[in-house]
Amino acid sequence: MTLRSKNYFVKETFNSIKRNQLMSFASISTVALSLLVLGLFLLMVLNANNLAQYLENQVQVTVYMQDGIKDNQVQAAQKSLEGMPGVIKVTKITKVEALDRFKQRLGDQIRLLDALGEDNPFPLSFDVQVDQPERIRALVPEIEKLPGVETAKFGREVVEHLFQLTKILRIGGLILVTLLAVATLFIISNTIRITVFARRREVSIMKYVGATNWFIRWPFLLEGMLMGFLGAVIASLFLIQIYLMLQNKIYTTLAFFPLIPSWPFLGYLTLFLIGIGTFIGAAGSSISLRKFLDV
Amino acid sequence: MLLMSGVSKTYPSGAVALRNIDVHIKPGEFVFVVGPSGAGKSTFIKMLFREVLPTTGKIFVDGVDVLSLKPNEVPYLRRQLGIIFQDYRLLPDRTVAENVAFAMRVIESPANQIDKRVAEVLELVGLRSRAENYPGELSGGEQQRVAIARAIVNDPLMVIADEPTGNLDPETSLEIMNIFSEINKNGTTIIMATHDKTMVDYMQKRVIAIEDGYIVRDEVKGVYGYDPEE
Repeated sequence: MTLRSKNYFVKETFNSIKRNQLMSFASISTVALSLLVLGLFLLMVLNANNLAQYLENQVQVTVYMQDGIKDNQVQAAQKSLEGMPGVIKVTKITKVEALDRFKQRLGDQIRLLDALGEDNPFPLSFDVQVDQPERIRALVPEIEKLPGVETAKFGREVVEHLFQLTKILRIGGLILVTLLAVATLFIISNTIRITVFARRREVSIMKYVGATNWFIRWPFLLEGMLMGFLGAVIASLFLIQIYLMLQNKIYTTLAFFPLIPSWPFLGYLTLFLIGIGTFIGAAGSSISLRKFLDV
Repeated sequence: MLLMSGVSKTYPSGAVALRNIDVHIKPGEFVFVVGPSGAGKSTFIKMLFREVLPTTGKIFVDGVDVLSLKPNEVPYLRRQLGIIFQDYRLLPDRTVAENVAFAMRVIESPANQIDKRVAEVLELVGLRSRAENYPGELSGGEQQRVAIARAIVNDPLMVIADEPTGNLDPETSLEIMNIFSEINKNGTTIIMATHDKTMVDYMQKRVIAIEDGYIVRDEVKGVYGYDPEE
């Protein structure tokens, strides 16, 4: 392919998009919308996975004591906890401290507490730090046998529920994304078909004067790819905005929630979407070219 | 230059267009293909650039077995041929010069040769002054001359013309024929399907007459041989 041909292809591609503005706009929007949905699902699934991993790697067990427990029982329990294998640190959280923590977490919504009146529903508890997360599973039943212990909670329980959620998200997302990809493919191939039809005279002349099939195909293929690419770029820009906004919201209200840091995560996501968009564009064109160009 | 042996064509509908055709055309010949409408002239012409494939038989263009070409080799056959149609088939949104250059551009000719060669062929067909006009601004005869320029710009071995003067008045047709003669004098083989009795009789070239799918006549200095109404 000579340089002059490359210039020719690029010129033809842009001319064609300009000539079919409305269809091109429809195609690009469809790609953008589909990829936006795909991107949102990816954000959810990846963050849910991230959260699950984060919780799995927690080396902390929270031990809740029975209400109305005596001080000497508390001290005995603390001693026993500290003596268990793998335990590095035991922190006592009194009822008052627990309430204060909750107040902090509520932030602006502190009025919710008014409903409690003078009662403090939070039990006394211990945060138990363990050296390795693998130890926790064996440790929890031991802790729960101690006198005065109501229950012991650790991350894995939540993780198991979370996995259910990510599974649903993944399957639902996959189905939806497949449907959207097919729709996008169809729209792009339709746009290219219209382009080919509008230029059928030119195409037939090209065939008579001996243009190779690839020479005829390239401008149409590029057009499809460009539409896919532009759609992906638009979807990515929206997605980045949405994620940053979400992150902002979550940091101010649910500070403990571990979101995946935006960089380089969003960069990879953008690259991925652009790859998919361009590929769908190329595939859509190819379908049309095979069917309608008959080169 | 062109060798056809035992060529027949039956269309899927069952219509028989050509029956057992044997033709040999030597390099540099000027050949008219005549015959009533529907006799098989168009099929004959279309087979030369592999638009239509015969049902049986062999076709060789410049020693190349046309039928054994793979689809991706067909463009290279067509680069050896200049094809001209009754309806000119020019691109209305490009100038005369761009229309001619288009044929060079799509076969990826070096850029620095295109402008020079386009000027040359436009000179040959007498349209140098019209280079920057659009096809819509030209007369029928001028448009056909642009089409001829486009057909010869890549120096084909053979020019194939299907009713090139079908839409033109006698005077203009004569001009077009003179251009074909000019091209033929430079050694290019010309094969032309036509209904134009005046031109065939005037040119005194080889005439192949096809009727009902058969070659009924093949004369070195032939005449049209049918009533003009046909």
